[in-house]
Amino acid sequence: MYGKGLRPLSIATVVAILTSFSLVFFYAPLDADQGFIQKIFYLHVPLAIVALIGFIVGGVFAIFHLRSGNRRWDAYSYVSIHMSVIFGVAVLITGAIWAKASWGHWWVWDEPTLVSFLIVFLMYATYYPFRYAIEDPERQARYASVFAVTAGAFVPLNFMAVRMAQSLVHPRTFGTANGGLPGEMMFTFLVCFVAVALLWVTLVKLELTAKSTSGQLKRLRRALDAPAQGGASRIAPEVS
Amino acid sequence: MIGLLLAATPALPLDEAGKYVAGAYIVFLVLIVIYVAIMASKLQRMEKELRDLASFAEQGRAGTPGREAEDVPIDVEAQPAAVSDRNLTPSEAAAGRPDHARGSADE
Amino acid sequence: MTPSRTAFATILAKDLRAELRTLQSLPAMALFATTTFVIFRFGLDRTTLSGSLAAGVLWATLLFAALLGVNRLFVSEREEGGFDAIRLAPIDRSALFAAKATALFTYLLVLELVVVPIFALFFLGSAAALGPLLAVLLLADLGIAATGTLISSMAVQSRARDLLGPLVLLPLVVPLMIAATGASEPLLALGGPGYHRFGTWLAVLSLYDLIFLLLGWAVFDFLLED
Repeated sequence: MYGKGLRPLSIATVVAILTSFSLVFFYAPLDADQGFIQKIFYLHVPLAIVALIGFIVGGVFAIFHLRSGNRRWDAYSYVSIHMSVIFGVAVLITGAIWAKASWGHWWVWDEPTLVSFLIVFLMYATYYPFRYAIEDPERQARYASVFAVTAGAFVPLNFMAVRMAQSLVHPRTFGTANGGLPGEMMFTFLVCFVAVALLWVTLVKLELTAKSTSGQLKRLRRALDAPAQGGASRIAPEVS
Repeated sequence: MIGLLLAATPALPLDEAGKYVAGAYIVFLVLIVIYVAIMASKLQRMEKELRDLASFAEQGRAGTPGREAEDVPIDVEAQPAAVSDRNLTPSEAAAGRPDHARGSADE
Repeated sequence: MTPSRTAFATILAKDLRAELRTLQSLPAMALFATTTFVIFRFGLDRTTLSGSLAAGVLWATLLFAALLGVNRLFVSEREEGGFDAIRLAPIDRSALFAAKATALFTYLLVLELVVVPIFALFFLGSAAALGPLLAVLLLADLGIAATGTLISSMAVQSRARDLLGPLVLLPLVVPLMIAATGASEPLLALGGPGYHRFGTWLAVLSLYDLIFLLLGWAVFDFLLED
């Protein structure tokens, strides 16, 4: 039962987001360097961290799938990666807005974390055509898990390499990068992080519940000997 | 508590910076709403399919193919699921169904 | 020799022999790379290259030649039913990974032994950088061999196999390319080879190689299950 616990989880998420937004706009002090623009930090960075953790989680689920052969883990892996890609879109857009506000350009190559994230995003964007190109569902699940594990190992390597490639002369970083946050900012940041993490978990659970419901419908349809309905997704694994 | 919060509120600067910050948070909101919309359409599709299956199951129990079920009760759980014999080919019907796990419910 | 080592040697020998027998792709790849250099000469409007431009042109060309080579790695297995033979044999499937990766590594190395001197001839003032560049080439080739074998073994069994391999492989080798060009740029500097952060970049390359060689070795079994 995937829907179990979804209601309290979503209520917790709503409360957390409400609290965090209130803290951002009514509690956290203004940044000395960046002023009001710095408020984007409380949205952009938690989204990025949660997305990256989500990718790693997808890789862990993939390992479970490979070891157990149980396709349920593949569904978890797929949804985790899918949700993190969506969060990744939000990361890149908010990052671009922050860059435009800070330096006047919608994209800069000088910000190593944003560039690393773009590369990771591009890597996981190939997950969909990759799954789509493999027709046999069992093989698709296995190969997708290998992809997820490989990409998971790739993430830290990529961040390391990009950071090292940074010119040491003029590093541009978004003002309040994790070090040196005053107390109120750190507290606000942590609450925002918890809120975004809760949102991710809630949406993943919601997605899995929807998939499970769809799977139960298929099962019912089969049991009733009703004519089959076409339109099964080629990519998304089924949950039943 | 509210008083403390309000007292600490810095005056919102409605200049250039405000627009960018608002833009970022709006993007976040819009993405969530788009997701809700996608989920809503999935739910709609599932409701329709469930409705179709329910009327399909009712037809089976009524025994007359093609009879439309007029009123489908909203609470589908009241109708126990039944394995219908309607789709048997003549040879299968003659041979009987060995793995008839659930008998058709007699209402 | 253990069965795995025999299998490894056999598959490797088969691949290398096939390559020598046909003799088609290596000269073709060398030609491809050379023509690419000519295109860069006109595209960049430069007759000499140094520093970051030289590193960029060299590694971009090598990478694209490698992508073409990777596509062909498992073609014979797919067409002649080689995968089934491997599945039926009671050996460690990772032997196939080792053999294919070694074959790809050898292929890349031989390709570079031809292409890099041509690059030096076209664009570099001296061949002084070529010695230390060899170290970078060796480590980068290991990385491409590991990831290329892993990805192409999956892509070859898909529908869009010529597109899928490069599509997935390209982002995957970005850290490798960053490290390779990072090490090469000072080597190809105008005034003579420099070694700024040379050791660090070689360490990054080695780490990349280690991780993906181990990963490929560990997961390859799951790719051949049926």
